[in-house]
Order: sequence, then structure tokens, then C-alpha cells
Amino acid sequence: MIRLACFLGLVALAALALLLVRLDGSTAIVFSFVGIPALGLALLLYVVVRWRAGAFGFSSAPANGKRRPTPIPDR
Amino acid sequence: MNPTGPVFAGPPAAHGIHWVAVLALLGGAAAAVLLVWGLVRGRLPASYGAAAVLLTVAAYGFASLHMLEGSKQVAFCGSCHVMTPILRSLQSNDGSLASTHYARGLVPHDDACFTCHSGYGIWGGVDAKMAGVMHMVRTATGWYTLPLTLNGTFDIDSCLNCHAYATTFRAVEAHQDPDLQKQLLSRQLSCTGACHPSAHPDSALGGGGPAS
Repeated sequence: MIRLACFLGLVALAALALLLVRLDGSTAIVFSFVGIPALGLALLLYVVVRWRAGAFGFSSAPANGKRRPTPIPDR
Repeated sequence: MNPTGPVFAGPPAAHGIHWVAVLALLGGAAAAVLLVWGLVRGRLPASYGAAAVLLTVAAYGFASLHMLEGSKQVAFCGSCHVMTPILRSLQSNDGSLASTHYARGLVPHDDACFTCHSGYGIWGGVDAKMAGVMHMVRTATGWYTLPLTLNGTFDIDSCLNCHAYATTFRAVEAHQDPDLQKQLLSRQLSCTGACHPSAHPDSALGGGGPAS
């Protein structure tokens, strides 16, 4: 999923590059209606990836994605 | 005679470095390196990911500012094929109100469309930008009909912003007529059509081919 997020981010940056190279109606349309949605989707995917890795504290998994060791019960 | 020289090229500020575009380019380039790295490796460490997000969002912010400012340009408006005939009319000094203003330098040369179509004040600019987004939607989807017509009534405050305090405007007897003033301020009457020539000729409102 991180690859997809990076790919969408690159699509968004390609739209940005077009706009910077030549600012006209067509590049503004691509920037607004392709680049911005692609960027939004990339950010959403990245947040989901980080959330599933426990980055925001909503998951029991630690931020590095590794499982916590099971505590040994007292005998 | 077509005079040339630096004086005719416009004020020096118009030819400076576009820092907003440069910052967008630098931020975008740095973000692209990180994103390619993530695409190839299939993972992105948290710090690299945060940097990629921040740089990309910042680049988009700067690029949006660049677009907001650049979209005021006459060339930007004329780049869509339905507007191309209007741009040609504007530049040909064909006697229409818009071309007369353009040829005599009565409106800023680079931002002529935006000056008259943005209305008065900061909210006029906001309204114009929102209308511009709808223009892009309509152009992208083909959701428009020809000949082009003005959406709603023209905001004559754009005219009065310059003309209201001009002695030449105030000296005209018709402008002093209270009934006419009431009709103008209530938007029952506009400056163009009845008294002054149309802003754009009918021949320019029928769309056209791509800009040459």
C-alpha cells in the first residue's frame, strides 16, 4: 500500500511539474482535478498505513510495527 | 509602427524571479526523491514519510499560490479555446468596450479580464476565483453552451470603481440623471447594451479553435 501511496504522490507531483513548466487552462485543470485528488488519496493511504502500524496510538501495536512480547504470567 | 524597447516591456517587477514557483519546484523535487525511494523500496521510514508529506503539501501550497496569481493573466484566460476569440477581439481594438479599455491602457494590461470580471473588493476576487473553478469544470466536462453568456448580471461596481470619481464621467449629463442612477444601482440597467457598446462583440462569443 505504501508503494501505491508513493505512486499517487508522484502522479500529483507530475501534475505540479506540468503547471510550473506551463501555466495555462489545460495544466490548471490537470493540477486541480488530477493532481489534488491524487495527493489527497496518497495522503489518505499513507495515514492508513501509519495508523495500521500504530503510529497514532489507536492500535495496540507499537509504532515500529513489531508485536509486543507476551508477558509471562506470575507463578 | 510597433515600438520596441525595455520601457514597453512593462514594469521591472513583472520580470523578477517567481519565488513561489521556485519554492514549489524545490519542494516538489525533494519530495519526488523520497517518493521514488519509497516506491522502489516498498517502505518509507516514519521520518522520511513525514518529510515527503510535508514537502509535497508545501509544494502544492506554493503551486496553488502560483496558479491563483497566474490565472489572472489574460493569456491564461485565452488559453481555453472558447475564450480564444474573446482574446483576439480584445487585442484587435475592434471598438468593443473591452478592447477599447485594453488598447488605451485603462485596465492593467496583463490582468485585464480579471480586473473587470472580479467585481469590487476582496470578495470580488474570491467570487472570481470560485467562478474560475466552475469555468475549469465546465471546460473539462464540455458542460457549456455557445454562444457564451454572462452568468448573472455584470457587477457594475467594477466600472464604478474607476469611473465614479472621474470628472469626465461625472460631467456627462446622462450620468447625473437620478432615474438612471437608480436603475444602475438596482442592476435594472447595465453600462453596456443600452448606452455603451457591448463588452465583447457577438462574433467573439461563439467559441473557437485552440489558441494560436
